[in-house]
Amino acid sequence: MRSLRTLLLPVCAAGSLLLTSCVSPQPDYVSTGRTRNIDMIVKMSKGDYWNTVKLGAEAAAKDFNVNLNFKAPDSESDINGQVALVQESIQGKADAIVLAASSYMGLAQVVDQAAYVKIPVLSVDAEVGSAKVTSYIGSNGYEAGQKAAERLIELLKGYGEIGILNFTSSSVHQETESSSVFDYGARDANEREKGFLNYAARYPNVHVVQISYTSSSEAEAEQLTRDMLHKHPALRGIATMNETASQGAGKVVQTLKRGAVKMVAFDSSPAMMELLQEGTVQATVIQNPFSNGYLAVKQAVQVLEGKKVEERVDTGTKLIDLENMLWPENQKLLFPFVR
Amino acid sequence: MIITLTFTTVTVLVAVIVSLMLYNKFAATAEENANLNMQQIIEQVNYNLELYVKGMQRIFETAEEQITGSPSILSPLLSERMEMLMGSREDLVSMAVFTPEGDYVVGTPGQELRRNTQLESQSWFTSAQTAEEISFSAPHIQNLFKGHYTWVVSVSQTIHYLDNGTLRSGVLLIDFNFRTIDELSKQVKLGKRGYAYILDPQGNIVYHPQQQLIYAGLKYENVEPVLEYAYRSYLDDSTGEQRFITVRTLERTGWKIVGVAYYDEIVTTKRDLNQFLAWFLGAVILCVIVVSVLMSARIASPIRKLERTVKLVGEGDLNTPINVSGAYEVEQLSKRFNLMLQRIRQLMDQIIYEQEGKRKGELEVLQSQINPHFLYNTLNSVIRLAERGKTEEVVTMITSLSRFFRISLSKGSHIITVREELDHIRHYLVIQSFRFRNKFRYEITAQPEVLDCRTIKLILQPIVENALYHGIEMMPDEGLIAITAVLREGNIILQVSDNGLGMSRETMNKLLSGVSRSEHGSGVGVRNVNERIGLYYGREYGLGFESELEEGTVVTITFPAGEYESPGNGHKEGAEL
Repeated sequence: MRSLRTLLLPVCAAGSLLLTSCVSPQPDYVSTGRTRNIDMIVKMSKGDYWNTVKLGAEAAAKDFNVNLNFKAPDSESDINGQVALVQESIQGKADAIVLAASSYMGLAQVVDQAAYVKIPVLSVDAEVGSAKVTSYIGSNGYEAGQKAAERLIELLKGYGEIGILNFTSSSVHQETESSSVFDYGARDANEREKGFLNYAARYPNVHVVQISYTSSSEAEAEQLTRDMLHKHPALRGIATMNETASQGAGKVVQTLKRGAVKMVAFDSSPAMMELLQEGTVQATVIQNPFSNGYLAVKQAVQVLEGKKVEERVDTGTKLIDLENMLWPENQKLLFPFVR
Repeated sequence: MIITLTFTTVTVLVAVIVSLMLYNKFAATAEENANLNMQQIIEQVNYNLELYVKGMQRIFETAEEQITGSPSILSPLLSERMEMLMGSREDLVSMAVFTPEGDYVVGTPGQELRRNTQLESQSWFTSAQTAEEISFSAPHIQNLFKGHYTWVVSVSQTIHYLDNGTLRSGVLLIDFNFRTIDELSKQVKLGKRGYAYILDPQGNIVYHPQQQLIYAGLKYENVEPVLEYAYRSYLDDSTGEQRFITVRTLERTGWKIVGVAYYDEIVTTKRDLNQFLAWFLGAVILCVIVVSVLMSARIASPIRKLERTVKLVGEGDLNTPINVSGAYEVEQLSKRFNLMLQRIRQLMDQIIYEQEGKRKGELEVLQSQINPHFLYNTLNSVIRLAERGKTEEVVTMITSLSRFFRISLSKGSHIITVREELDHIRHYLVIQSFRFRNKFRYEITAQPEVLDCRTIKLILQPIVENALYHGIEMMPDEGLIAITAVLREGNIILQVSDNGLGMSRETMNKLLSGVSRSEHGSGVGVRNVNERIGLYYGREYGLGFESELEEGTVVTITFPAGEYESPGNGHKEGAEL
């Protein structure tokens, strides 16, 4: 027995040596050895904002070996279209779904369905009314709304009538002056508007006289802006809450006498930057669409890897005006590096 | 078991040591090669970029020459030439000349200038005012002309131009997009994920394959160590992953080309090797174990079988056959062992046979003495003597008979002294001399030293009987039987000689082969004696005959003196009784 042990000892030693040289500890970065199928469903297939989100998502897809399936309905108001896309992804057995819900409640049920078949759902840009969502990546809409209000009221020197052009997913609610019908609206739109209104409420001389809703068509936004200006000739300021609304309103404001109506917009399409540089639009609240897209996909991969992810990732908002738009750090945010 | 273990251990150890050595050597070489390869690639990119920057410079110089050489900055010819220059390269975005105050003088393409360009505060403008040489800006957004916002690298310098005959100074700006730099850098393949990026001397990233990620703050490059060195390779683990960084610096612009390779990728060979060795060693160990188990089974199992058989043999089962096949040695061993067993069996059979022979022979002799015929004759003689009142003779006769039987039995012992044997034969002769009415004489002589030697009993009587019945009985004269016992050369030699009829050679041969049996006497042949001596002392001992017809016969019994215990166990048995 003794001789047996003395003989076994070097064998064991050699074996352990071999093992330690072959087994390396698990890396703390995301492994890219496996291809994952991730479906990204956003609100709309066109527009610079969503394109940038897509760019970010694609960058992450490349980084983390993801087979990205980017899908979107034609319009932000097409809730049913989006629900159908999510269902399609569930049927297609996507590894994970990244969703920018065009309706807070309208997508809730289908998200629950996805969670039921064990497909993790991450929401990006806009939240969805389901407790099954793994993580939210996007900006704080309420805060963004407040930022816009702060700047607009500052521009108006603290008094005057303000019109808001927001976006909604249901075309029924156009031109409503109340703010009670948010059930089927997009969460980010609601939050921004709420933030804006709550901030404006601090100023007794500031009156939000009209809130119009566009269902993501620039032409519609233009028309709504013209209507608003017609209805409220004393309007001194316009706040727009998303890219499409901003573009439409910007076009109308451009035709007015410079400086007659102050405008604070949302998002940073090149056209908006042009308006900003020209002085037509005084400021714009920007989000981080690229980061949103990138981080959403990255987090989805981490969820699939079984790593713990943060429940909320606030990618931040920034107020851009003529003065700071060319600051190097803002250049990087405002102008996507497209080759 | 031990064979297997030893064999396995040694082989595995050797395999492990060799593998580790090979691994270290290969891994080092692989790593070195990867590094060298990477440095060469970066060197190549560096060279290409150097060429590219030179090209940028040349374009700038050409443009400057055109402007300086033109009689008027606003001449259509100059504008045409500038357009041509613009058209010559895809990566040219715009060219423009500004006054030192920042006012736009001329430019290509002739687009409308935007408002609020803030060009006075832009780096290309300020550095052109201060620097002597052509300056290269960090990448920035070109916001001067309507239409697009483009990411560009600006090349600028203060130049002099003629405006309606007046020599003025101004800033010439040429913007390059990243197309060419991108193309140059895209060629860089450092493993699967590796890449190269460009850094300006201030640490701004001029170009990065993932510029968007860098700008969005989603990716970081650890540029500090890069800035410290112009030409270097080092290992960086600021991102948690080990990355191999190679830095080269461009001469003109001070830009640094930074190659980034993921360590685990450039050392794929190492990992492959690792994997291969793991498999290899596993396979070797498995093979070795299987082979050694088989081998030792082949060697050990016949040995074990042999051992089992030998044990059986040891327990007394001599009939166990050994049919062991296996290694040559083992086979030989088992063959030898089989031969040995066979011999043992033979010897044992022989011993049994001999023992039986001895007992049978002795029994025969004993039987011959209580032969009724002999007793009858003897008693008849006693009765006759008694009738004649020869009391003394009767006493002698009976005494002899009694002594005769006592020695015959001699307490069952097979071995007696020569003295007893001689006594025995003397008593026999006494008895027979009464029977043959003094028809013969006898003499018994013995060397004194022979008397205490041992002999098997009852060997003389059959011979003497033979001499009496065949040699002397028919003789007309008085016969003489002489018995001598001498010790010669360690042998005891007993001789019975008579002067009787003698016998032919034929008869002598028959005597020993036992074919002829006399009708008289005990019926125990001379052969019996010869057999017994042979059995006790060996075949070389026994009887010898010399006979001459009408002259007499001499029978010589030869057997070794002393060592009487060693052959057989006859004495022991006797001693126990």
